[in-house]
Amino acid sequence: MNVLSCSINTLKGLYDISGVEVGQHFYWQIGGFQVHGQVLITSWVVIAILLGSATIAVRNPQTIPTGGQNFFEYVLEFIRDVSKTQIGEEYGPWVPFIGTMFLFIFVSNWSGALLPWKIIQLPHGELAAPTNDINTTVALALLTSVAYFYAGLTKKGLGYFGKYIQPTPILLPINILEDFTKPLSLSFRLFGNILADELVVVVLVSLVPLVVPIPVMLLGLFTSGIQALIFATLAAAYIGESMEGHH
Amino acid sequence: MANMIMASSKALITSSIPSSPRTKLSLPQIPIPKLPLPKLPKSPLILSLPSNLKSISVILASSLAFAPPSLAEEIEKASLFDFNLTLPIMMAEFLFLMFALDKLYFSPLGKFMDERDSAIKEKLNSVKDTSAEVKQLEDQAAAIMRAARAEISAALNKMKKETQLEVEKKIAEGRKKVEAELQEALASLDKQKEETIKSLDSQIAALSDEIVKKVLPVSN
Repeated sequence: MNVLSCSINTLKGLYDISGVEVGQHFYWQIGGFQVHGQVLITSWVVIAILLGSATIAVRNPQTIPTGGQNFFEYVLEFIRDVSKTQIGEEYGPWVPFIGTMFLFIFVSNWSGALLPWKIIQLPHGELAAPTNDINTTVALALLTSVAYFYAGLTKKGLGYFGKYIQPTPILLPINILEDFTKPLSLSFRLFGNILADELVVVVLVSLVPLVVPIPVMLLGLFTSGIQALIFATLAAAYIGESMEGHH
Repeated sequence: MANMIMASSKALITSSIPSSPRTKLSLPQIPIPKLPLPKLPKSPLILSLPSNLKSISVILASSLAFAPPSLAEEIEKASLFDFNLTLPIMMAEFLFLMFALDKLYFSPLGKFMDERDSAIKEKLNSVKDTSAEVKQLEDQAAAIMRAARAEISAALNKMKKETQLEVEKKIAEGRKKVEAELQEALASLDKQKEETIKSLDSQIAALSDEIVKKVLPVSN
């Protein structure tokens, strides 16, 4: 018991020193509703980065690509490849959705790890990756749900709902449950990974400010990329699943 | 874990001391003022766990449960799972980003890449289909070669003819000369023969006379 309170005190001290702020938000009031200001600010920065770099790189495309254009062509090829693998031949219209999903999550995650947000002090909370707020991830996951319903309904009309009793009608509850677990797992996976990653880095930095956190930071970058890819791939897979024919 | 955090944050909302004046705006890095750890009524729940289960997760959980009071001083609520207007705003931002990126990046660059691909394919195909052109060029080359060959052989024939004529002329000339010399030689030879025969004739006459004389004295 003594040990426990002692360790709690130590952790408390560390907590104060490192300035970890979990669940702290910089609230804005918009028409009687509250919003998380820090999430909006960082998401604007991310959107600005994406739009700015895309505009600069694609402004004047050359037949033989160089530099930025080459990179953006590579990214586009990658997104098309992911979409094509998951959705099939009719992937064309879904490239913007999958691509934006991937790029937004990827740049958000990496901005949390690479941009020195901590320089800017907020009255409450702190600036971090937009994806470490549950609102963002749930928003993206719900959009994915809407997207795959839209894909299925436009492809097959009301026959789309036939998939709920597909192998046997006994599976109806499970099939319905799937529509809830999909966005839930998508959003919580991303949220948990990014939040945990940032917390681990912050705690490690507070413990050992030199060298030691670097591998964890690199691992964090890797995880961030993987999470973006997983989210985009799963979104594409759900869309493809609802578009494919059920026999 | 999530429930714990949520529960703790809710408990904190009720137990927090309402709105002490905010002092931290100008503080450099540490935004949390250090306050003594208040004993919460919740603590027995955590501390009553058997001590041999004091895993790090329990410590972390309890620290999370303990630590927020200092934060809750300042903010009315602190929670991870705090859904509000941010969610629809993020949806709108995402949709805006999707359309903007589609207009700025995916569509133009994708179209450009597809056009380039088709152009390259077309060029490749046209390169494959130049066999007709190659054939035509080959025919042309063969015609040129044939013409050149014909020209060369004509020139060769002409030259051959000319040289032959020349040679024949020379040969004829030589033959004429030789014949003339031969005639001359033959003529002189005949002359000599005639002369010799003539002289022989006279000698023969004398000789025959003598022979006759020698043979016929008896008869005389």
